[in-house]
Amino acid sequence: MERMETAIVALVLIGIIVSSGTMYYTTIVTSDLSTLTSDVSTLTESVTELTSTIADLATAMAEGFEDIEEVTGASFEELTGAIATLEARLAAIEAGLAARETLIVGTTDSVELTLDPAQAYDYFGWCILQQIGGTLVSVKPGSPTGADFLPDLAVDWNASEELDIWDLNLRQGVMFADGTEFNATHVKYSFDRAIALIPSIPEGAPAGLGYDAIINRTEVLDTYKVRFHLNFPFSPFPGILASRSSTIVNPQYAPIEQINHTAGDTRASTPVAFAGPYVLSEWRRVAGRDVEIKLDANPNYWDLASGYPKMEHIIFRFYSDAASLRLAIEAGDVDMAYRHVSPTDVLDLEDNPNVRVWWGAGAAIQYLCFQTKRAPFNDTRVRVAVAAALDRNTIAETVFLGLSDPLYSIIPPGMLGHTEAFKKLGDTNYTLTRSLLADAGYDESNKLTFDLWYESSGHYPMSAEQALVHKAAFEASGVMDVTLKSADWASYKQNRDNEIMDAYVYGWYPDYVDPDNYAFLYWAAWIHTNYQTTSPEAYAQQQALYDAARATTNTTLREELYAQIDDIAVEQCSVVPIWAGTGYAITKPDVYGIYLDITQDMRYWLISK
Amino acid sequence: MGLRSYIITRILLTIPTLLLLLSMVFLVMRVLPGDPVELHFEKKATPEQMEAMRRALGLDKPLWAQYTDYLWGLVDVGYLLEHGYPNLGKSMQTFEEVGGQIFSAFPATLELAIYSMLIASIIGILLGVTSSKSYNSFLDHLIRGFGTVTYAVPIFVLGMIFQLIFGVYLRWLPTGLRLDPAVNPPPTITGLYTIDSLIAANPVKFFEASKALLLPSLTLGLILSGMFIRMTRTNMLETLRLDFVTAAKARGLKESTVTYGYALRNAFLPILTMMGLQFAILLGGAILTETTFSWPGLGRYTVDRITFRDYTAIQGAVVMFGLFVTLVSLIVDILYAYFDPRIRL
Repeated sequence: MERMETAIVALVLIGIIVSSGTMYYTTIVTSDLSTLTSDVSTLTESVTELTSTIADLATAMAEGFEDIEEVTGASFEELTGAIATLEARLAAIEAGLAARETLIVGTTDSVELTLDPAQAYDYFGWCILQQIGGTLVSVKPGSPTGADFLPDLAVDWNASEELDIWDLNLRQGVMFADGTEFNATHVKYSFDRAIALIPSIPEGAPAGLGYDAIINRTEVLDTYKVRFHLNFPFSPFPGILASRSSTIVNPQYAPIEQINHTAGDTRASTPVAFAGPYVLSEWRRVAGRDVEIKLDANPNYWDLASGYPKMEHIIFRFYSDAASLRLAIEAGDVDMAYRHVSPTDVLDLEDNPNVRVWWGAGAAIQYLCFQTKRAPFNDTRVRVAVAAALDRNTIAETVFLGLSDPLYSIIPPGMLGHTEAFKKLGDTNYTLTRSLLADAGYDESNKLTFDLWYESSGHYPMSAEQALVHKAAFEASGVMDVTLKSADWASYKQNRDNEIMDAYVYGWYPDYVDPDNYAFLYWAAWIHTNYQTTSPEAYAQQQALYDAARATTNTTLREELYAQIDDIAVEQCSVVPIWAGTGYAITKPDVYGIYLDITQDMRYWLISK
Repeated sequence: MGLRSYIITRILLTIPTLLLLLSMVFLVMRVLPGDPVELHFEKKATPEQMEAMRRALGLDKPLWAQYTDYLWGLVDVGYLLEHGYPNLGKSMQTFEEVGGQIFSAFPATLELAIYSMLIASIIGILLGVTSSKSYNSFLDHLIRGFGTVTYAVPIFVLGMIFQLIFGVYLRWLPTGLRLDPAVNPPPTITGLYTIDSLIAANPVKFFEASKALLLPSLTLGLILSGMFIRMTRTNMLETLRLDFVTAAKARGLKESTVTYGYALRNAFLPILTMMGLQFAILLGGAILTETTFSWPGLGRYTVDRITFRDYTAIQGAVVMFGLFVTLVSLIVDILYAYFDPRIRL
C-alpha cells in the first residue's frame, strides 16, 4: 500500500480512536450524573444526621469551647474539619437536588404568536399561560365533567337568580410575581382590556369566546369584591372565568392600548406580569418558533404553603414532529412527552419499561359537515342516509387503534348533556341508507356522488386514513360513489368559508369546558353549512333550547335541553359526530402527578419526580 | 481578461440573475390561489377588519407598487443598517419582521451546511482518490458501493438510523435540537455555536454544541459524500492516465506528491464546480435534516411557513436560499478562475 493510503488509513484510525474516546468520555459523564442523582437520597439522610450534630454543636458552642470536647468527644480542629466536609456535602446535595427539581418536557408545539391573554388562542400559548397566570376560578384536576370548579384568585362566588349578575370575593394577600398586591381593580382592568382590544384583534380568544357579547361591564364593589354584569343569563360563566383568556394581568406590564408578550418584545421575557405558580424566566424563539422556554417557580405564588409548584423549574424542548419526540423520550432526553405522539407509537411505548404511558379523558372531537345550501345535501334524507353509513368503530379501532371513542353526540362522553342520540341511525346501517337514498332517487345504477374533503397538512390527526375508511364505508352501501379531496389547513379553511366542499370533516377543541361550548356546533355560522338558513325552524328550536340551557344551573334540566338539541340534530344531520379523543402523556417512570382530564390541560405545577 | 476584471464582470452578471430570481419569487407568490388575509382569520372577520389587515400588510396597493416596495425594501440600506438585516416585509401570521426571523434561523443552517460540506468533502475526496488509486480492486468496489449507498439512501432514513443507534440505544448523543436547553447558548458573535463557544473560550459549550451537531452534519455529509466520491474517482482516473503524471513519476517524484500535488490539483476543478452545485442540494437536504433533527434553522422555518401559507415568509426564505446559492456560485466561479487561468481568457 502506498504511503498516502497508509496515511489515510492512519487518519481514519485516529478519527475512530478520537470519536470512541469522546463517546466513552460522554458515557462516563452520563454515568457519573446518574450516580450523583442516586446518591442524593443517601446524602439527604446524612443531612438529617449532620443537622442534628450542628444543633448539638451550637449548644456546645454557647456553653463554651471547653465543653465541646466533652459533648462530641472530638477536638475543636476535628470538628472544624467535619464542618468543612459537611459544607462540601451540602453543596453536592444542592447540586443533586437541582437536577431533581427540573422537569424537562418534550413537545412538538410552539406558542403561535403571543402570551397575552387578550390575543393568545392556541393550545400551547394557553398551556404556558396556565402555568404562569392565575384565573379567578379553575377546574378541579381530574374532574370527570369539567364542571367542578375550585377557588383560585377568587375564594367564592354567587350568581343572581337570573344568572346575569355574578359576584366574586377575591383572595386576599395574593401578589403578582413582581410583588404587586392583587385586588379587584386588576380583575376589572383585565376584563375591560380584553374587551377593549377585541376590535383590533378579531382572531383573539376574547373575541372568539364572545366576551363583548356576554359581559356588559365589570364593577369593583370593594377592594376584594367584583361584580360582573352580563348581557343575558349565563350559567356556564365559571367556565369562562376559568379560561386562559380570563387570566388576570398586572396593568404595569399589560397596557390597555396594546398587545404585550409577543416575541421580540423585551417584556416578553419579563417574568412579572401574572400571578400563577410559575414565572416565565426564558422565552427564546428562532424564526417565529419556540426553541427555549424555561419556567421557574413563582416565589410569590399564593399557594406555596400547599407545596405548589412541585418542581422548581420546567424546561420545554421543542421537536419538529411526533417521530422525533418519540425518539427523545425513548433516549431519555426528556422526562415527559406531551401531545402529538402518534397512536402507534403510544401503544408501542406501553411495552417499554423505561417509560410510563398515562391515560385519561380527551376533549377533542371530530364531526362530518354537509353543505346544505345545494344538492345533494340540501335534501335531509340524503344527509341522514350518509350519516347512517358512517363506520365509527372502524375509525376508532383501525385508524386510532382504540385511542378514540365513537361519538354519537356533539357533546363528548363524561360531560354534562352527553347522549347517544346518533345511535338511532346506527353505524353502517345500509338498510336505512339504501331506503332513504331510494326515496331521494338514488340506487345502484344512479349512485349518489359527492366529494368528501379532508385536511392534509397535519392539522388534524390521521385525516387521510380516516377519509379512506369513510369512503370505503359509504361505497360499501352500493349506492354511493365518493371522491376524496384534500387541502392543506389554510386552503381547507378558505374552502370552508367559500362553501365549495360538499362534505367535510372538521374538529373542535373547547374554549371552555362546558356543553355550552359544544352544542352550538350544530349551527355555528363559521362552519358554513348554511344550516341556519336552510333549516330555519329546526335552528330556531335548537337555539331556544340552547338559550334555556344557558339560563339555568339546574343540571337535570340542562341535560334534558341538550338531549333535545341532539334529537333535532339527528333528524337534520347537518353536522354528524364521529369520534372523541382520549388523552395520553408519556413520562419517565419516576414522574408523578399527571392529571389527564376532560380539560386537556397539563397542570405542570402538580407534577413531581 | 485579468482576474480582477473577471470578478467584476461576474459580480455584475449576478445582479440580473438575482433580479430575475426576486421577480419570479414575487410573481409566483402572487399568483398562488388563496387570499392571505382571509387565511389569517380562524373565524371569518368583518370586511372592515379584513381591509384593515390588508392595509397593514400593504396588500391594498397595486401589484406594481407592491413590487417596487419589495425591491426597495431589499436595497434599503438605511433599514439594513438600523436592523442588521434587509427589509423582507412582515410575516402574515406573526407580524414579525421576516428579515429578523430569517436571520435568527440562518446561522443554524449555515453551521449545519459548513460542517456537512466539510464532512462530505473530506470523506468524498479522500475515498475518491483512494478508489482511483486502487482501480478495479476490492477496495475500489467497496468504496464505490459505499458511495452509491450513501447517495441513494434518503436523508431522513439515515438520520433516524443514527438517532436510534447513538441516541436511543447507546445514549451517546442527543436525538435532536441545537443545544441542550439546560445549557445557555454562547454569546452571539457569529451565530455559529461551535465558533462562538470557542471565541468565548468555553469548552463545555463547545462540547455540547459539537455533540448536537455531530449527527445532523454526519447524516447530511455522508449523503453528499457519495457524489464527491464518484466525481473525484472519475476525474482522478482520467488525470492519472495523462502524460504529465507519467512524466512526474518518471522524474522520481514521491507518489503522494504526484497524486495530491499534480493529479488531484488538475482533477479538482470539476469537483470544485460540483461543490457549488452541491450547495444548492445541500440546502434542500438541510430542510429534511433540520426536520429530522428538530434543528431550528432556515429549512425548518420554510416548512413551517409553508404549512401556515405565510407568503411573505416563504418569499423571504426562498430569496435567502437563492442569495446564498448565488453567492456560493460566485465564489466557486472566482476560485475556478483562480485555479484555471483559461477561464479568464
